[in-house]
Amino acid sequence: MKKDCTQLDDLLFDGSPLAMETAARHAEECDACAETLAAWNDLTATAQTMRAGWENDLLWPRIERALRAEQAAMPPRRDWRRSILRTAAALLLTAGLGGTAYYAVRVQNHDAAFDRDILRLSALDEVERAEQVHVTAIRKLEALAEPRLEQAESPLLVSYKEKLMLLDDAIAECQANIDHNRQNAHLREQLLSMYSEKQQTLRDVLREDTHGTNQ
Amino acid sequence: MTGMLHVPTASPSTVDDQRLANACASGDTRAFEELYRRFGDRMKSIAWNHLGNTSDAEDAVQETFLKIHRAATTFTGEASFATWAYRILVNTCYDVLRKRRRRIEEAPFDDALEHSAGAVDDLKRLALRKLLDGLAEQRRTVSTLFEIEGLSHAEIAAILGISEGNSKWILFATKKELQEKWKRSQ
Repeated sequence: MKKDCTQLDDLLFDGSPLAMETAARHAEECDACAETLAAWNDLTATAQTMRAGWENDLLWPRIERALRAEQAAMPPRRDWRRSILRTAAALLLTAGLGGTAYYAVRVQNHDAAFDRDILRLSALDEVERAEQVHVTAIRKLEALAEPRLEQAESPLLVSYKEKLMLLDDAIAECQANIDHNRQNAHLREQLLSMYSEKQQTLRDVLREDTHGTNQ
Repeated sequence: MTGMLHVPTASPSTVDDQRLANACASGDTRAFEELYRRFGDRMKSIAWNHLGNTSDAEDAVQETFLKIHRAATTFTGEASFATWAYRILVNTCYDVLRKRRRRIEEAPFDDALEHSAGAVDDLKRLALRKLLDGLAEQRRTVSTLFEIEGLSHAEIAAILGISEGNSKWILFATKKELQEKWKRSQ
C-alpha cells in the first residue's frame, strides 16, 4: 500500500466532496484503495435508489378517520397554560375565601373567648367577694377566740391552737398559689375547705371555752 | 460521505412549527393534513425502510399521526416539528420491529422499491436491504436516514437524541462493516 492508503479511512470518515475527490485521485494509483472506494460508492449509490415511494389515496382518509375517532374518544383537550392559570386562580380564590372564613371564625372565637373571659372574671370576682365575706366572719370569730387561745391551758385548747396554726400555714400557702392562678377552682375549693375547717375549729374553741367556763 | 446529493429537508420556521404543533394539539384536522402533505412521503419511506412492507409502513405512519395528536402539547420547539415527528416515527418502527421479533416471523418485503428511481439493479438493492436488516437498530436508522433519506447528521442526531459527531461515527463504522460484506457479496 502506498503512504496515502493510511489516510483513506480519514477521507471516507470526512465524507466531504473535497475528501472524496482526494480519495478518488489516490484510488487512481492504488488498486486496493480503488476496490475499497468502489464498494463504498456502490453502497451509497445503491442506498440512494432505495427511497421508497408509493401512492395510496386511501391512507390520508384512513388517518383522518383514526384521528377523528380518537378525538371523539378523548376528553376535550385543554391548553395547559390556561389550565395552570385557572388552577392558580382557583387556588388564590380558595386561599382568599379560606383566609376570610378563618379570620371571621377567629374574630368570632375571639369574641366568644372574650365573653367567656368576662363571665369567668365576673364569676371569679363573685367568688372572691364571697371569700372575703367568709374571711371577715372568720376574723371576727378569730378575734373572739384569740384571748382564750393565748391563755390555753387545757390539752384540748392547746390542740385547737396547734390545729389553727397549721390551718393558717396551709391557708397562706394555698392563697399564695391562688395569687399565681386566680382561676384555679381546685385551689379555691381547698381554700374554702380550710376556711370552713378554721371557722369550725374557732367555733369549737369558743364552745369549749364556754363549756369549760360553765363547768 | 460520498458527496451524495442530500435531499433538502422541509424545515419550516420555528414560528410555523409552533403554529403547526398548536393546531395539532387542538385537534385541527387541517393541520394534520398539512403535516401529511409536507412530510407524509418521507415518513412512508422511512417506515418502509425500517419495516420492509407498505402495510406495516402505513400502519406506522398512521400510529405516528395519532401519537403526534396525543403529544403535540409537549412539542418544545428545540428541534423542528419534522424532526420531532420523524423521531416519533422511528420509535414507532422500533416498537413494530420488537413486536415482530417477539412473534418470530418476518414480514415479507413488497414491491415499494419498484417505484424507486435509479438504474442500480434490484439484486443490489435486495443485497443491501438484507445487510441493513442485519444491523442493530441505531446503526440501521443512521444508515437509512443518511444514505437513503438524505438527512443531515444534525437532523439524525436530533431524531435519535445523539451527538452529531456520534451520528457521523456510527455511519462510518457501519459503512466499513457493510463495505466488507458488500465486496464479498458482489
